[in-house]
Amino acid sequence: MATSAHTIAAPARATTAAGSTTLRRKQGFQHGGWFVAPFLLLFAVFVIWPLLRGVYLSFTDANITGEGASFVGLDNYREALNDPLVWDSLGHSAYFTLLVVPCITVLAFLLAMLAHHIERGKWLWRLCFFAPFLLPSTVAANLWQWLFNPGTGMIDHVFGLQTPWLTDKSYAMLAIVITTLWWTVGFSFLLYLAALQGIPDHLYEAARLDGANAWHRMVHITLPMLRNITGLVIALQVLASLQIFDQAVVMMDFLPGPEGSTRTFVQYTLEEGFTSYRVGYASAISVIFFVIIAAVALARMWLLRNREESAR
Amino acid sequence: MGRPDLNRRQLLGGLGGLFVAGSFGFAALGTGADALASDADTRVRYWNLFSGGDGSNMIAMLDAFRAANPNIAVKDSTLQWGSPFYTKLAMAAAGNRAPDLGVMHLGRVTGFAPGRLLDPWDTGLLAKYGVREEDYNPTLWKRGVIDGKLYALPLDIHVQLCFYRKDVLKKAGLLGDDGRIVPVTSPDEWFDVLKEAKRATKKGLQTIGMWNADQNFQWWFFVAFYTQLGGTWFNATDTEVTFDTDKAVQVLRFLRRHVTDGYSDPGFGGLASAEQFLNGSPFVWEGNWSVPVYSGAKLDYGATPLPPVFGRPATHAESHSFVLPHQSDRGGATNEAAHQLAAYVVQHAQQWAAGGHIPAYTPTLSTAAYKKLDPQSEYVAAMDHQATEPKVWFAGSTGILAQRVGPIVVSSTMGSAKPETAAGRMKKALTQLLATKNPMDGKTAAEGGAA
Repeated sequence: MATSAHTIAAPARATTAAGSTTLRRKQGFQHGGWFVAPFLLLFAVFVIWPLLRGVYLSFTDANITGEGASFVGLDNYREALNDPLVWDSLGHSAYFTLLVVPCITVLAFLLAMLAHHIERGKWLWRLCFFAPFLLPSTVAANLWQWLFNPGTGMIDHVFGLQTPWLTDKSYAMLAIVITTLWWTVGFSFLLYLAALQGIPDHLYEAARLDGANAWHRMVHITLPMLRNITGLVIALQVLASLQIFDQAVVMMDFLPGPEGSTRTFVQYTLEEGFTSYRVGYASAISVIFFVIIAAVALARMWLLRNREESAR
Repeated sequence: MGRPDLNRRQLLGGLGGLFVAGSFGFAALGTGADALASDADTRVRYWNLFSGGDGSNMIAMLDAFRAANPNIAVKDSTLQWGSPFYTKLAMAAAGNRAPDLGVMHLGRVTGFAPGRLLDPWDTGLLAKYGVREEDYNPTLWKRGVIDGKLYALPLDIHVQLCFYRKDVLKKAGLLGDDGRIVPVTSPDEWFDVLKEAKRATKKGLQTIGMWNADQNFQWWFFVAFYTQLGGTWFNATDTEVTFDTDKAVQVLRFLRRHVTDGYSDPGFGGLASAEQFLNGSPFVWEGNWSVPVYSGAKLDYGATPLPPVFGRPATHAESHSFVLPHQSDRGGATNEAAHQLAAYVVQHAQQWAAGGHIPAYTPTLSTAAYKKLDPQSEYVAAMDHQATEPKVWFAGSTGILAQRVGPIVVSSTMGSAKPETAAGRMKKALTQLLATKNPMDGKTAAEGGAA
C-alpha cells in the first residue's frame, strides 16, 4: 500500500507542480489583491483619472467652468514654449532646488553624525532636529515670516541687521531656502541616522586595529557605507524641491514675491488655472512639468542601475 | 513642499480637515434650516468677501435690513477674499449652485463672463426699491454696463490716499488756513513739500511710506499718476496697445525718486509704513481702508487723494459692487428680494463710509451725516477723478494684469531696473495680455471678447 501510495502520489505531484504554482499565484493575487484594492481604487480615481483628464484638457481651451471647451491641438504647448513666465518660474524652481539639495544633504549628514556620536541627551538632539518636520507648512512659513520681518523680526534683531529679507529679490528666495532647511532637514536627518546605526561596529574596530584615524574611518568606512542613503536623500530632495510651493506662497502672502522672483512653477500653474481661469493652458504646463519631473526620476534610476552594474 | 508619499501627518491632517469641513457643512445646514424655519417667506443667499472692520460693518447693515424686512431671511456667507473667492463664485455659477447675490470688484466683472456666470440686473426692479442710474456717478455706473446691460451695482469706491500728519506739517509750515495740506501741482513742488516735512520729522522716521516693494500698491500708484498724465492703455477697439512709454517713464522716475532722494525707506515699506505714520512719520500713501486704524489711534491727521503732481487730479479707484451670479432659473420672489437687499445696502451705506469707503450712491454723499465724517469728506472728490485699470477681461483687483505688471513697477521703484527698461517691459506684458484669448469666451479683447 505504502509503495502504491508512493507510485500514485509521485506522478500526481509531478503533474500538478505547474498547476499548483499558478494556483498559489492566483490565491496570492486574490488575497493580496483585496489588500491593495482600496489603494488601487483611490489611486485610479484621484491620480490616474485626473492625470489622463489633465492630459486631455491640455489639448483644449477649457476654462474653469468646464463648459464650452474646444480642441486646440498643440496650441497650448506652443504658447508655453514661448511664454517667458514659464521659463522664469521653471528657473526659480530649479534655482531653489540647486540651493536646497546640497545644503540639506550636508546638513542632514552632519546633524546625524552629531546625534549618533553624542552620548548625553541623545533623545533631545534627535527631537530637536526632527521636530520642525512635524509642523504643517503654513505654520513653518508663518513662523519664519515673522522671524524675517525687517525691523521687528528676531533674525535682524539678534544679528543687528536691517535686511529686506522678504521684500528684496536678492534675499527672498534665500529666505525661503532657510525656512525649508529648518523645516524639512529632519526627514533626511532621520534617514542618515538610521543608516549610521546600520553600519556594523566591527568594521570600525578592525580599522582601529589597523591604525586608521578618525578621518580615515570617515572617508573609508562611513561615507562609502552611506553612499546608497545619500543617493536616496538627494533623489527625494530633488523631486520634492522641484515641486516647491507652500512655503513660498505663504511667506509671500500669495503673491509672486519681490519682482516676481519667487514665482515657482507650481505657483504659475495655479495662477493660470485659478486666476486667469485658463485651465487648458494650465494643464499643458503641468503636463510639461510632469515630463520634467518624470525625466529626473528616470535619470536617477538609470544612473543607479549603471552604478550597480559596474559594481557587479 | 510636496513630499513623495502620504505620511501619517498628512493623513491625520486630512482626516482633521474632513472633520472640520464636515462640521462647517453641518453648521451651514443648521443656519439654513433656521432660515427656513423662520417666518420669512423668502430666503436670499448672499456671498461676500468682507472680513475685519468691513465685515462687521456689512453685518450691521444686513441686520438693519433684517429688522426692516422680517419677511426676507438673509443667509450671508463670508469667504476668503482674493482669487479663491472668484474661483468659488465661478464654479458655483457654472454648476448652477450660485448664491442669489454676490459681491465683486468692479474691475473683475468684465472677465467674469457677463451673461454666462453673471445675470444682468433688472433696472426696473432696482428703481422700484429706490436706486436709479441718476443716483450714480456716470463713469462709475457705466463701468458695470456690458453690452448695454447692467451687471454690477456699485456699493462704494475705495481709493488710494495721501495721509498726512497735521502736527508735523504744521511745524513745517505746510498746512493751509483751512487746516489742510497746501496744494501741490508738480513733481518739484511735491518734493519741496517732502523736503520741508523731512526737516520737521523726528529722527529715525521716514518722510513717506509708500509700499515700495508691494506689487499691488505700486501698480495702483502707477495707474493713478499715469492717468494724471492722460496716458491710455489700448485703443477704442482693443486691437492695439496705446501704452505711452514716455509717460510711463515719467511716472516711474517720479516713484523712484522718493527712494533715491531719501524720503522713503524700502526697509519701512509695507505695514511698517503704517507703524511709522502712527509714530510721527509725516506721510503715508495707503488705501482708504486705513481710516479706521488711524482714527482709532486718535491721530491728528488728514487724507487727500494722491497729489495731482502731473496737473490733472486722479487717484486709483476700485469698487465693491453687487452682482447676480448666474442661476438658470433666476427670477421670482428670491430674485426680487436680492434686488431689494442690494438696493437697501447701497442706500444705507453711512455705516460703510465709516470704514473709509466712499459710498457710490451719490445722495448719501450730500447728507449732513456724511459731510461730518472726517477725513472722509476731505477726499470725497476722488469720486470724480477715478483712475481705473482698462476695461478688459484680464484687469481688476488682484487680477492677471496686476500680477504681470505690478512686479515690473516695483523693479523700477526699488532700483533693480531702469525706468526706461521697466516701461518697455510693461508694454510687452500688455501686448501679450491683449493677444491672449479670454478663457470664458475664447476670444481676444480685439475679437470682441466681453468688454
